[in-house]
Amino acid sequence: MPTFKLDDREIPFEPGDTIIQAAHRAGIDIPHYCWHPGLSVAANCRMCLVEIGPPPGRPAMMLDILKQDPKTGEYIPAKKPKLQPACQQRVAEGMEVKSESSEHVSEARGAVQELLLLNHPVDCPICDQAGECRLQDYWLQHQGKGKRMHDEPVHKPKAQVFGPTIVYDGERCIVCTRCVRFCEEVAKDPVLDVRERGNLNEIVVSPGRQLDHGYTLMTEYVCPVGALTATDFRFKARVWFLRSARSVCQGCATGCNAFLDYDPRNETVYRHRPRENLKVNKYWMCDEGMLDYARAHEDRFINAYVGEDEVSLEAGVKAAAKALKGVDPERVAIVLSAQHSSEDNFALLTLARDFLGSGNLFISGNAEGEGDGVLKHADKNPNTKGVEQLCSTTPPASMSELLEAVAAGKITHAVALGSAAPIDVEGLSSLKKLVLVSPFDGALAGYADVLLPAATWAESTGTFVNFAGLAQESERAVRPEQDARPAWKLIAAVGRELGYAMDWQRLSDVRLAMAPDAGAAVAGSAAAEVSAPTGAAE
Amino acid sequence: MLINQPLGPKKVVGTPIPRPDRNASVQTYIPEIAKGLAMTMAHFFRNTKEMALGQRNDPTIESISDGINCVSYPEQRRPYAERFRGVHRLTHRADGSPRCVACLCCSTACPAQCIHIEPAEYPVGDSRRGYERFPARFVIDELRCVFCGFCVEACPCDAIRMDTGIHAAPYDSREQFIFEKDLLMSFKGRDGSQLSENPRHEPGDPTHPGVTREHGGH
Repeated sequence: MPTFKLDDREIPFEPGDTIIQAAHRAGIDIPHYCWHPGLSVAANCRMCLVEIGPPPGRPAMMLDILKQDPKTGEYIPAKKPKLQPACQQRVAEGMEVKSESSEHVSEARGAVQELLLLNHPVDCPICDQAGECRLQDYWLQHQGKGKRMHDEPVHKPKAQVFGPTIVYDGERCIVCTRCVRFCEEVAKDPVLDVRERGNLNEIVVSPGRQLDHGYTLMTEYVCPVGALTATDFRFKARVWFLRSARSVCQGCATGCNAFLDYDPRNETVYRHRPRENLKVNKYWMCDEGMLDYARAHEDRFINAYVGEDEVSLEAGVKAAAKALKGVDPERVAIVLSAQHSSEDNFALLTLARDFLGSGNLFISGNAEGEGDGVLKHADKNPNTKGVEQLCSTTPPASMSELLEAVAAGKITHAVALGSAAPIDVEGLSSLKKLVLVSPFDGALAGYADVLLPAATWAESTGTFVNFAGLAQESERAVRPEQDARPAWKLIAAVGRELGYAMDWQRLSDVRLAMAPDAGAAVAGSAAAEVSAPTGAAE
Repeated sequence: MLINQPLGPKKVVGTPIPRPDRNASVQTYIPEIAKGLAMTMAHFFRNTKEMALGQRNDPTIESISDGINCVSYPEQRRPYAERFRGVHRLTHRADGSPRCVACLCCSTACPAQCIHIEPAEYPVGDSRRGYERFPARFVIDELRCVFCGFCVEACPCDAIRMDTGIHAAPYDSREQFIFEKDLLMSFKGRDGSQLSENPRHEPGDPTHPGVTREHGGH
């Protein structure tokens, strides 16, 4: 790989890279506002100016300037090199670039910072971006001085509603046009543009339109300052209180990598942010996915129910075991869920195949939706592929087949994971017993005789396999609410209550039991593995 | 510890203090008790005479002199220092709404974690919309508070102050120490005002050009 020099460090680059790209790949951050690795280059913020040495045998391009002597206040003639934006300058072999080590560059960065802050209303106390704002960070790193211009700043519209999800503040905007480029290039819906010139620049929505395509919250996320704020997150929390868990979006089968931001003090999830993964979602996420975090606290079951009565978790597990005890396994339906992680499904599958001996596998989940060719997938379940991989020998049947079997009287009992269903499941009311392990209220929950509260994806770690077959781990953010427990734990508890050897204590035990070819595992082999406790569990 | 030091007890370095002279008068107590009582009685009679004749300084106004300084608290009080940190107050804007924009800087800085704030937004169409944020709840647990003043230092809007000159009153239940927003906004500073010195020029202030493009003058 050819290399170039950045601050006396040899950095490899691929032909066609710009300086900032090559540095970014090497883990060096050249300060920037308008450059985004997933967008085209605008080079209008001038924050990434670097000094580039002349080609060999050529004089450096120097500009004549007048420099103010700080002591006397006099202007004296001086020279300074012509600086180049690192986001636009292509790298050439052997190029010598100075970023941190150049006096001229640090001076230029301070000056750019000052220019950007000339008309900035310093309303950080109000602004949602405070704490993760580039202006704050770079001011501290590259300028750190007070304001020198004491005129009234230019006033622009504040708190303008751009659409159902986004509020715009013209005064905070530094016109980096990231949002404009994002709408044009990624969302393929160019609703935003820049109006006026110079310091009267502001972002506007096309007349007669609203910012309402499928990726509006992403525009808020690419905004390096607090100009675009999300109605949903506005004034809800302060970012310096939040911690991030590396999760996987539950909205559809794309399985976008995300950060789930939660406040550890009150165990509340506040937002979803995209996490960079070039294999899956690059840098983006759709609105539905970014708003999907709210499900962590909506329509939740946090207590066990037997019929209509709220009971303790132990009583719920006992009731579930009682409902399944001594039933002919041919009459028990096992409903796996495409909404749950592979570990949860594996636990239910183990209970069904190795212990109950039931082979009636069905799969539940959300109904098909619309894909959009960018990120959204038509399959609105995060783990359909994972369930399919688990049951590779006998693929699970659909919910409509379950309803037919119930109507025909072949199935009298069912154990179900997750309460989402693609179709109307009224037919389930004729079941004798339905044991449901679900975090959410949903279609199946109305027919459950015993309900055990599972933890959501935000409250338990699990593996989700996206439509392309890529298995990704989603980390736990908050602790489970009240009686909610990870579904595999509840299923294992029911299994133990029935007298089976399912003494999994922690997720790693489940993963140990999940052989790589868990789907093809013959009945009993997994059970044998589990029934030999490791001994180190306690 | 030095490695080449000899083992054993170290030589004591220092000047010896002479022991008190334990002569017969000290050993028998009686003369010393008489001396002490004489000193006490002398103070007593001198103070009583000065009090009766009104020759003593007022300890709440003038300096403390030697002798007895009785402040008949709470009728008489010693003046507090200019920088005395009393109970918090929330300052007002000109229109009577709280200065506070619920930025949570104070609760972040608070070492006792006694401030709880719930931010909210002024709705569209409200005359105060330009202020954007306000605290829907602002609660200070005065029992937890250590009166360090960090919240006042941290406040970017001069919205919280501790210049009321009141110190936390004694109550008979813990709930009464939980000061809600309305109570905090009802306190006045020692100068009797409820406004702040904050010169911040915000949209929503009468002098501000406004928040729509038509007002921007361009």
